[in-house]
Amino acid sequence: MGKDRLLPILALIFLFIASSSSLYVYATQTTTDTLLLNGQHYTIDQLFSLAKPRAFNDSQYTGIALDDLMLKTGIGNPEQHTYTLKGADGYEKTVTWENLKNGLLTKDRESIFSDLPKAFRVKDIVIIEVN
Amino acid sequence: MINRKFILGIIVFGSLWGFAECIIGSLLRDVNLPAGAIMTGVFAIGLMTLSRTTFRQPGMQTGIGLVAGALRFFNPFGGCFICSAIAIMAEGLLFDLIWTGFSLDQKTTHTLTIQTSIGVTSAYLVYVGGYIITQILTPVFSSAGFYLENLIVFIPQILASGLLAALLGVATVPAVFALKNAHITIQDRLYYPITIGVSAFCWVFVILNTILIIGV
Repeated sequence: MGKDRLLPILALIFLFIASSSSLYVYATQTTTDTLLLNGQHYTIDQLFSLAKPRAFNDSQYTGIALDDLMLKTGIGNPEQHTYTLKGADGYEKTVTWENLKNGLLTKDRESIFSDLPKAFRVKDIVIIEVN
Repeated sequence: MINRKFILGIIVFGSLWGFAECIIGSLLRDVNLPAGAIMTGVFAIGLMTLSRTTFRQPGMQTGIGLVAGALRFFNPFGGCFICSAIAIMAEGLLFDLIWTGFSLDQKTTHTLTIQTSIGVTSAYLVYVGGYIITQILTPVFSSAGFYLENLIVFIPQILASGLLAALLGVATVPAVFALKNAHITIQDRLYYPITIGVSAFCWVFVILNTILIIGV
Protein backbone atom coordinates (compact mmCIF):
# COMPACT_ATOMS: atom_id res chain seq x y z
CA MET A 1 0.00 0.00 0.00
CA GLY A 2 1.32 3.43 -0.94
CA LYS A 3 2.13 5.93 1.78
CA ASP A 4 -0.43 8.31 0.31
CA ARG A 5 -3.14 5.77 1.13
CA LEU A 6 -1.65 4.72 4.43
CA LEU A 7 -1.61 8.23 5.94
CA PRO A 8 -5.40 8.86 5.91
CA ILE A 9 -6.01 5.37 7.33
CA LEU A 10 -3.48 5.99 10.09
CA ALA A 11 -5.04 9.37 10.84
CA LEU A 12 -8.46 7.73 11.23
CA ILE A 13 -6.98 5.03 13.49
CA PHE A 14 -5.39 7.68 15.73
CA LEU A 15 -8.65 9.64 15.91
CA PHE A 16 -10.47 6.44 16.86
CA ILE A 17 -7.90 5.60 19.56
CA ALA A 18 -8.08 9.14 20.99
CA SER A 19 -11.90 9.23 20.95
CA SER A 20 -12.37 5.78 22.50
CA SER A 21 -9.74 6.57 25.16
CA SER A 22 -11.63 9.79 25.99
CA LEU A 23 -14.85 7.80 26.42
CA TYR A 24 -13.04 5.24 28.60
CA VAL A 25 -11.51 7.96 30.78
CA TYR A 26 -14.88 9.70 31.15
CA ALA A 27 -16.64 6.43 32.06
CA THR A 28 -14.06 5.36 34.64
CA GLN A 29 -13.59 8.69 36.43
CA THR A 30 -14.21 8.45 40.18
CA THR A 31 -15.33 11.10 42.61
CA THR A 32 -15.07 10.70 46.36
CA ASP A 33 -14.81 12.97 49.39
CA THR A 34 -12.54 10.59 51.26
CA LEU A 35 -8.93 9.55 50.86
CA LEU A 36 -7.99 5.89 51.20
CA LEU A 37 -4.73 5.70 53.12
CA ASN A 38 -3.21 2.28 53.75
CA GLY A 39 -6.62 0.60 53.55
CA GLN A 40 -8.47 3.11 55.76
CA HIS A 41 -10.82 5.89 54.59
CA TYR A 42 -10.24 9.43 55.94
CA THR A 43 -11.79 12.80 55.19
CA ILE A 44 -9.35 15.61 54.47
CA ASP A 45 -10.37 17.30 57.75
CA GLN A 46 -9.53 14.13 59.68
CA LEU A 47 -6.11 13.99 58.05
CA PHE A 48 -5.49 17.68 58.82
CA SER A 49 -6.31 17.06 62.49
CA LEU A 50 -3.84 14.16 62.60
CA ALA A 51 -0.63 15.46 61.07
CA LYS A 52 1.49 18.55 61.70
CA PRO A 53 1.35 21.46 59.26
CA ARG A 54 4.04 22.16 56.67
CA ALA A 55 4.62 25.10 54.31
CA PHE A 56 6.92 25.79 51.35
CA ASN A 57 7.98 28.91 49.45
CA ASP A 58 7.11 31.47 52.16
CA SER A 59 3.74 29.82 52.79
CA GLN A 60 2.82 29.84 49.08
CA TYR A 61 2.03 26.16 49.56
CA THR A 62 0.55 25.00 52.85
CA GLY A 63 -0.79 21.69 54.08
CA ILE A 64 0.16 18.77 56.27
CA ALA A 65 3.50 16.95 56.35
CA LEU A 66 3.23 13.72 54.38
CA ASP A 67 5.90 11.92 56.43
CA ASP A 68 4.16 12.83 59.68
CA LEU A 69 0.85 11.69 58.19
CA MET A 70 2.29 8.22 57.55
CA LEU A 71 3.63 7.99 61.09
CA LYS A 72 0.34 9.19 62.62
CA THR A 73 -1.65 6.65 60.63
CA GLY A 74 0.48 3.84 61.97
CA ILE A 75 2.87 2.97 59.15
CA GLY A 76 5.72 0.94 60.64
CA ASN A 77 9.30 1.07 59.31
CA PRO A 78 8.35 3.91 56.95
CA GLU A 79 11.77 4.09 55.27
CA GLN A 80 11.34 0.51 54.03
CA HIS A 81 8.25 1.36 51.93
CA THR A 82 7.46 3.29 48.79
CA TYR A 83 4.26 5.32 48.57
CA THR A 84 1.97 5.58 45.55
CA LEU A 85 -0.22 8.68 45.36
CA LYS A 86 -3.23 8.12 43.08
CA GLY A 87 -5.41 10.91 41.72
CA ALA A 88 -9.11 10.71 40.78
CA ASP A 89 -8.14 11.04 37.10
CA GLY A 90 -5.88 7.95 37.26
CA TYR A 91 -2.63 9.91 37.44
CA GLU A 92 -0.26 8.37 39.98
CA LYS A 93 3.28 8.81 41.19
CA THR A 94 5.38 6.61 43.47
CA VAL A 95 7.76 8.30 45.90
CA THR A 96 10.20 7.27 48.60
CA TRP A 97 10.21 8.02 52.33
CA GLU A 98 12.96 10.62 51.74
CA ASN A 99 10.63 12.40 49.29
CA LEU A 100 7.76 12.32 51.81
CA LYS A 101 9.99 14.19 54.27
CA ASN A 102 9.90 17.08 51.77
CA GLY A 103 6.26 16.68 50.83
CA LEU A 104 2.93 18.09 51.89
CA LEU A 105 -0.74 17.39 51.24
CA THR A 106 -2.91 20.45 50.63
CA LYS A 107 -6.56 20.95 51.60
CA ASP A 108 -7.41 20.33 47.92
CA ARG A 109 -5.77 16.88 48.29
CA GLU A 110 -2.81 17.80 46.08
CA SER A 111 0.73 16.60 46.78
CA ILE A 112 3.60 19.09 46.62
CA PHE A 113 7.27 18.15 47.02
CA SER A 114 10.07 20.63 47.46
CA ASP A 115 12.64 18.15 46.13
CA LEU A 116 10.74 16.83 43.11
CA PRO A 117 9.59 18.28 39.75
CA LYS A 118 6.03 19.51 39.33
CA ALA A 119 5.18 16.22 37.59
CA PHE A 120 4.93 14.79 41.11
CA ARG A 121 2.05 17.07 41.99
CA VAL A 122 -0.82 14.62 42.00
CA LYS A 123 -4.16 16.44 42.07
CA ASP A 124 -7.32 15.31 43.83
CA ILE A 125 -5.60 12.36 45.54
CA VAL A 126 -8.05 9.54 46.33
CA ILE A 127 -5.62 6.81 47.39
CA ILE A 128 -2.22 6.71 49.09
CA GLU A 129 -0.93 3.17 48.78
CA VAL A 130 1.87 1.92 51.02
CA ASN A 131 3.95 -0.61 49.08
CA MET B 1 29.61 21.63 5.16
CA ILE B 2 26.37 22.57 6.92
CA ASN B 3 25.32 25.96 5.67
CA ARG B 4 24.79 28.92 7.94
CA LYS B 5 21.28 29.50 6.65
CA PHE B 6 20.26 26.04 7.89
CA ILE B 7 21.80 26.57 11.35
CA LEU B 8 20.17 29.99 11.68
CA GLY B 9 16.88 28.41 10.55
CA ILE B 10 17.13 25.95 13.45
CA ILE B 11 17.88 28.75 15.90
CA VAL B 12 15.10 31.09 14.75
CA PHE B 13 12.37 28.41 14.55
CA GLY B 14 13.49 26.93 17.89
CA SER B 15 13.52 30.37 19.50
CA LEU B 16 10.01 31.16 18.21
CA TRP B 17 8.69 27.83 19.51
CA GLY B 18 10.41 28.25 22.89
CA PHE B 19 9.13 31.82 23.14
CA ALA B 20 5.58 30.67 22.39
CA GLU B 21 5.85 27.89 24.99
CA CYS B 22 7.15 30.27 27.68
CA ILE B 23 4.89 33.25 27.08
CA ILE B 24 1.73 32.04 25.33
CA GLY B 25 1.84 28.61 27.04
CA SER B 26 2.02 30.25 30.47
CA LEU B 27 -0.91 32.53 29.63
CA LEU B 28 -3.00 29.56 28.47
CA ARG B 29 -2.20 27.68 31.72
CA ASP B 30 -3.19 30.74 33.76
CA VAL B 31 -6.68 30.65 32.24
CA ASN B 32 -6.89 26.85 32.71
CA LEU B 33 -6.83 25.95 29.02
CA PRO B 34 -5.16 22.69 27.87
CA ALA B 35 -1.88 24.46 27.08
CA GLY B 36 0.11 21.34 26.19
CA ALA B 37 -2.25 20.16 23.45
CA ILE B 38 -2.77 23.68 22.08
CA MET B 39 0.95 24.44 22.01
CA THR B 40 1.71 21.16 20.23
CA GLY B 41 -1.27 21.22 17.84
CA VAL B 42 -0.78 24.82 16.76
CA PHE B 43 2.71 26.21 17.47
CA ALA B 44 4.91 23.10 17.49
CA ILE B 45 3.31 21.43 14.49
CA GLY B 46 2.92 24.75 12.65
CA LEU B 47 6.52 25.87 13.09
CA MET B 48 7.99 22.42 12.45
CA THR B 49 5.87 21.90 9.31
CA LEU B 50 6.85 25.35 8.03
CA SER B 51 10.54 24.72 8.68
CA ARG B 52 10.42 21.21 7.20
CA THR B 53 8.64 22.24 4.02
CA THR B 54 11.02 25.19 3.63
CA PHE B 55 14.38 23.47 4.22
CA ARG B 56 13.45 19.81 3.48
CA GLN B 57 16.34 18.56 5.62
CA PRO B 58 16.00 15.65 8.06
CA GLY B 59 17.41 16.41 11.49
CA MET B 60 16.35 20.05 11.47
CA GLN B 61 13.32 19.59 13.76
CA THR B 62 15.43 17.69 16.31
CA GLY B 63 17.65 20.77 16.46
CA ILE B 64 14.64 23.09 16.66
CA GLY B 65 13.29 21.03 19.57
CA LEU B 66 16.63 21.27 21.37
CA VAL B 67 16.73 25.07 21.00
CA ALA B 68 13.06 25.46 22.07
CA GLY B 69 13.53 23.06 25.01
CA ALA B 70 16.61 24.97 26.16
CA LEU B 71 14.67 28.25 26.06
CA ARG B 72 11.76 26.66 27.97
CA PHE B 73 14.25 25.53 30.60
CA PHE B 74 15.24 29.16 31.21
CA ASN B 75 11.66 30.03 32.13
CA PRO B 76 10.79 28.10 35.30
CA PHE B 77 7.20 29.37 35.45
CA GLY B 78 3.91 27.95 34.31
CA GLY B 79 3.71 24.19 34.70
CA CYS B 80 6.57 21.76 35.07
CA PHE B 81 9.53 23.35 33.30
CA ILE B 82 11.75 20.24 33.37
CA CYS B 83 8.88 18.10 32.02
CA SER B 84 8.08 20.75 29.39
CA ALA B 85 11.71 21.06 28.26
CA ILE B 86 12.01 17.26 27.92
CA ALA B 87 8.65 17.04 26.11
CA ILE B 88 9.62 19.79 23.62
CA MET B 89 12.94 18.13 22.80
CA ALA B 90 11.20 14.76 22.36
CA GLU B 91 8.52 16.33 20.14
CA GLY B 92 11.16 17.74 17.78
CA LEU B 93 12.80 14.33 17.47
CA LEU B 94 9.46 12.54 16.92
CA PHE B 95 8.36 15.00 14.22
CA ASP B 96 11.66 14.43 12.45
CA LEU B 97 11.22 10.65 12.62
CA ILE B 98 7.61 10.80 11.34
CA TRP B 99 8.44 12.99 8.35
CA THR B 100 11.53 10.97 7.49
CA GLY B 101 9.69 7.66 8.03
CA PHE B 102 6.83 8.62 5.72
CA SER B 103 9.20 10.23 3.18
CA LEU B 104 7.06 13.36 3.29
CA ASP B 105 9.88 15.53 1.89
CA GLN B 106 9.78 13.78 -1.48
CA LYS B 107 6.64 15.52 -2.70
CA THR B 108 6.36 19.29 -2.94
CA THR B 109 2.56 19.30 -3.07
CA HIS B 110 0.02 17.27 -1.14
CA THR B 111 -3.75 16.95 -1.52
CA LEU B 112 -5.91 18.40 1.26
CA THR B 113 -6.66 14.86 2.47
CA ILE B 114 -2.96 14.12 2.81
CA GLN B 115 -2.32 17.50 4.47
CA THR B 116 -5.02 16.90 7.11
CA SER B 117 -3.82 13.31 7.57
CA ILE B 118 -0.28 14.60 8.14
CA GLY B 119 -1.76 17.08 10.64
CA VAL B 120 -3.62 14.42 12.63
CA THR B 121 -0.83 11.82 12.51
CA SER B 122 2.07 14.11 13.33
CA ALA B 123 0.21 16.15 15.99
CA TYR B 124 -1.14 13.04 17.73
CA LEU B 125 2.09 11.03 17.66
CA VAL B 126 4.23 14.01 18.60
CA TYR B 127 1.98 14.98 21.53
CA VAL B 128 1.39 11.46 22.88
CA GLY B 129 5.01 10.43 22.30
CA GLY B 130 6.33 13.57 23.99
CA TYR B 131 3.96 13.04 26.91
CA ILE B 132 5.08 9.42 27.41
CA ILE B 133 8.77 10.26 27.09
CA THR B 134 8.51 13.04 29.66
CA GLN B 135 6.60 10.74 32.04
CA ILE B 136 9.55 8.36 31.85
CA LEU B 137 12.47 10.79 31.86
CA THR B 138 11.26 13.28 34.49
CA PRO B 139 11.12 10.66 37.30
CA VAL B 140 14.40 9.14 36.05
CA PHE B 141 16.13 12.50 36.59
CA SER B 142 14.51 12.95 40.02
CA SER B 143 15.26 11.29 43.36
CA ALA B 144 11.95 9.37 43.30
CA GLY B 145 12.83 7.15 40.35
CA PHE B 146 10.67 5.75 37.55
CA TYR B 147 7.96 3.15 38.15
CA LEU B 148 6.51 1.54 35.03
CA GLU B 149 3.13 0.87 36.70
CA ASN B 150 2.66 4.64 37.25
CA LEU B 151 2.91 5.11 33.48
CA ILE B 152 0.84 2.09 32.41
CA VAL B 153 -2.26 3.04 34.44
CA PHE B 154 -2.14 6.57 33.00
CA ILE B 155 -1.83 5.51 29.33
CA PRO B 156 -5.61 5.86 28.58
CA GLN B 157 -5.51 9.49 29.84
CA ILE B 158 -2.45 10.23 27.72
CA LEU B 159 -4.04 8.69 24.60
CA ALA B 160 -7.23 10.68 25.28
CA SER B 161 -5.43 13.98 25.84
CA GLY B 162 -3.90 13.77 22.35
CA LEU B 163 -7.33 14.18 20.73
CA LEU B 164 -7.30 17.98 20.94
CA ALA B 165 -3.77 18.17 19.51
CA ALA B 166 -4.81 15.89 16.63
CA LEU B 167 -7.90 17.99 15.85
CA LEU B 168 -5.84 21.19 15.91
CA GLY B 169 -3.34 19.53 13.58
CA VAL B 170 -6.18 19.09 11.05
CA ALA B 171 -6.28 22.88 10.64
CA THR B 172 -2.64 23.76 11.31
CA VAL B 173 -0.89 21.73 8.61
CA PRO B 174 -3.18 22.79 5.72
CA ALA B 175 -2.84 26.40 6.96
CA VAL B 176 0.96 26.11 6.73
CA PHE B 177 0.73 24.66 3.21
CA ALA B 178 -1.60 27.51 2.23
CA LEU B 179 0.92 29.98 3.64
CA LYS B 180 3.67 28.30 1.63
CA ASN B 181 1.55 28.69 -1.52
CA ALA B 182 1.61 32.46 -0.98
CA HIS B 183 5.36 32.25 -1.83
CA ILE B 184 6.46 34.73 0.80
CA THR B 185 10.25 34.87 0.72
CA ILE B 186 12.88 36.88 2.53
CA GLN B 187 15.63 38.42 0.45
CA ASP B 188 19.08 36.95 1.13
CA ARG B 189 20.52 40.23 2.42
CA LEU B 190 17.66 40.51 4.96
CA TYR B 191 17.63 36.83 6.00
CA TYR B 192 20.53 37.02 8.49
CA PRO B 193 19.56 40.30 10.23
CA ILE B 194 15.91 39.19 10.55
CA THR B 195 16.62 35.67 11.86
CA ILE B 196 19.30 36.87 14.29
CA GLY B 197 17.07 39.73 15.44
CA VAL B 198 14.01 37.54 15.98
CA SER B 199 16.03 34.89 17.83
CA ALA B 200 17.72 37.48 20.04
CA PHE B 201 14.36 39.10 20.83
CA CYS B 202 12.85 35.74 21.90
CA TRP B 203 15.75 34.88 24.21
CA VAL B 204 16.09 38.37 25.73
CA PHE B 205 12.33 38.63 26.30
CA VAL B 206 12.10 35.24 28.04
CA ILE B 207 15.20 35.84 30.18
CA LEU B 208 14.07 39.36 31.17
CA ASN B 209 10.60 38.02 31.94
CA THR B 210 12.15 35.37 34.20
CA ILE B 211 14.37 37.93 35.96
CA LEU B 212 11.43 40.32 36.49
CA ILE B 213 9.21 37.55 37.93
CA ILE B 214 11.99 36.40 40.28
CA GLY B 215 12.57 40.04 41.25
CA VAL B 216 8.89 40.43 42.17
